[in-house]
Amino acid sequence: MTVTTAPVRSTARQTPQVAPRNLARLLWLELRHNAMPLVLPLIAALYWVDCYRIAATLPPLWETRLFYILGQGHALLDFAPFVAGVAAWMGSRDGRRGMGDLVTATVRPRWEAQLATWAATVVWAVGAYLVFMAVMLYLLGRVVAWGGLPWWSIAVDGAGVAAFASVGFAAGARFPSRFTAPVTAFGAVVAMGMSSQTGFAANGGWALILPTMSNGNFGQDAGIFYQWLPDLPIARVIFFTGIAAAAVGLLGLSPAAGGPRLRRSAAVITATGSAATVTAIVLAVTAHVGPYGTVIPALHDAANDKPISYTPVCRTAAIPVCVQPAYRPYLGDLTAAVGPVASEVAGLPGAPVRATQIAAQFAAGQQHPVQGWTGQIVTLGGSPPVLSMPTGAIALPGSFGSYNAGFIDQIKVEVVHALVTPRSAFGNPAQVAVEAALLQHAGIPLAAQPNALGNSPWPLPGGGPHTPAHYPPPVAAAAQRLAALPPGARHAWLATHLGALRAGQISLGQLP
Amino acid sequence: MNVELTELTRKFGRTQAVAGVTLQAGPGVFGLLGPNGAGKTSLLRMMATVLPPTSGTLRLLGRDPGGYVPRREIRRRLGYLPQNLGYYPGFTVTDFVEYFALLKDMPPMQVPRAVAAAIEQVGLGDRARAKLRTLSGGMLRRVGIAQAIVNEPELLLLDEPTAGLDPEQRVVFRALLREFGQRATVIVSTHLVEDVGAACSEVTLMDAGRIVFHGTPDELIARGVGHGVGDAPLERGYSAVLAAARS
Repeated sequence: MTVTTAPVRSTARQTPQVAPRNLARLLWLELRHNAMPLVLPLIAALYWVDCYRIAATLPPLWETRLFYILGQGHALLDFAPFVAGVAAWMGSRDGRRGMGDLVTATVRPRWEAQLATWAATVVWAVGAYLVFMAVMLYLLGRVVAWGGLPWWSIAVDGAGVAAFASVGFAAGARFPSRFTAPVTAFGAVVAMGMSSQTGFAANGGWALILPTMSNGNFGQDAGIFYQWLPDLPIARVIFFTGIAAAAVGLLGLSPAAGGPRLRRSAAVITATGSAATVTAIVLAVTAHVGPYGTVIPALHDAANDKPISYTPVCRTAAIPVCVQPAYRPYLGDLTAAVGPVASEVAGLPGAPVRATQIAAQFAAGQQHPVQGWTGQIVTLGGSPPVLSMPTGAIALPGSFGSYNAGFIDQIKVEVVHALVTPRSAFGNPAQVAVEAALLQHAGIPLAAQPNALGNSPWPLPGGGPHTPAHYPPPVAAAAQRLAALPPGARHAWLATHLGALRAGQISLGQLP
Repeated sequence: MNVELTELTRKFGRTQAVAGVTLQAGPGVFGLLGPNGAGKTSLLRMMATVLPPTSGTLRLLGRDPGGYVPRREIRRRLGYLPQNLGYYPGFTVTDFVEYFALLKDMPPMQVPRAVAAAIEQVGLGDRARAKLRTLSGGMLRRVGIAQAIVNEPELLLLDEPTAGLDPEQRVVFRALLREFGQRATVIVSTHLVEDVGAACSEVTLMDAGRIVFHGTPDELIARGVGHGVGDAPLERGYSAVLAAARS
């Protein structure tokens, strides 16, 4: 080319600062052309089958219905692979489409353009999660009578969706190949599978940070008798938000991503995200169990420990039976269970004048959550005596493998045990025999009792995972004798000996 | 000068794609000719600020693109059509051109009008709402040209812009080039010598990473009289210069 004499144009072109309107328009374009909506019907179908259909069969309490969805992380399990895969597809778009030179030759830094695509991807993914969750909560909530929702746990999965989208996007942008998306989706499946395995097996420590870890930190009577403690969910939100920030920040570290100031910002975001992730894990490690859930001292607000006030609903069957309004659907079963036993002991010294539901609590005092915490049973105490029933600690009808008759029998077993044996353990032979006789008159034949007792916190000696429970023959014989007595004679014997029997001072041979 | 290159080189491993190119250019339309592998695309990519030179100096629009801030200012005034135009199949013509208008940080109020004008200039007004996946190769090329000119660039770099265009569109496009050349520096890399003859005021011929000729199209034609092979005078000039450079 030849030298020309024409001068460089000196017109001072407008050089606006970053125009928010341009960014908004860019985001709108990316939203309209994002691939995420294409997989939403698939996620919706999976969500329906895997989350809603199962939760809808569970007892109408939020903590029970949401245990599978939020406690065990199935909502996130359903979203993660699809979201990560599609986000990787979007992240790899410029590379796959050969747009690198075109985008690079524009004014906006490459990272800013990527952020617009990333933001649209995350908005679609998290928006879909929130909509699906809202619809499911509405459908599930139509039969839930009372109680609050675990908003922070819902936020955890939302943050989890954003984190998977961000990591997927970063993977796609870093490795722009058509194979990145399926590989990333598979990686998300593996990650969630490992998280589930760890969540099932672990009892605490760092594993608490996993969204699939529900052992001893989700359920009981949270949202009914007391607040859902937000401590652990807050740590999980920090964890996921940190991962999302670190993943997006990493994209901005490349020299091609933008100018020095932008790369410094990206470095700060990456460092902050990484620090947040580590901090969240450290917070989880410091957790211990309080009566109302997992407590993280650095995050705990004592105001959340305040019980929720309520007006109980009652029904009378020999004695008044009162429950928290959330348990109204089970009031009939409870009166059916308490009534026959209360009739049998009516008028005896120490017989209950009322049965009242109390809160099922978490295994407080433990360093880490306790798996399968079942240490709560019906107790008798106070003056006048009142039966206290932690109904939420018993498998409610509609729970996995539980049904009405079994629930009623379980209540009968616990009420009789509370009357005769004042501790959460197997009684002496005389106490067991009296319990057996009372249960027979309350509607559980002697032959069926080992099965009913098998569900109790104090299974019969000799019972075990592979051995059917049974009464020792002397106990069974004594129970038969007592049950065969005329009601008046049995009542008179109990009136005389119930105190000594409860104190463990009656032997098997002293039974009539 | 809008473009000032001094001893510019670019290596890819052991291969030297551009080997010490020195040239300057002000407003006008400049043709960049050369056989495959001559280094035209690498030179254009360096001028488009997407590929840093290995050595030499490069000044565009009076600025050094080595610095981040001047590079952004250059890009604000730059239009670039790469040889292999990538595109998003799901975008409409308008969306695609608007996308690049936004990335070029055009003032928001000007974007809609500039997008519509660019699409009209490349003759795609009636397909503005068509998705890119439905367009022919020639139409896609025109979309690429539209995104390059949407910000009314002062430096317009076009790599094989007429590939795939039908004769009628090429005539329209040449007129567009001449119009842009009135107020901007337009550098067109092409294999089609008739485009050079019709639209360019200057022509540079590259071979093996070096400039082997620069002058007007008439001067190139003159080099081929009685020497070169080809059906057209420019082709004969082209082949004669290349033959001389390789001998």
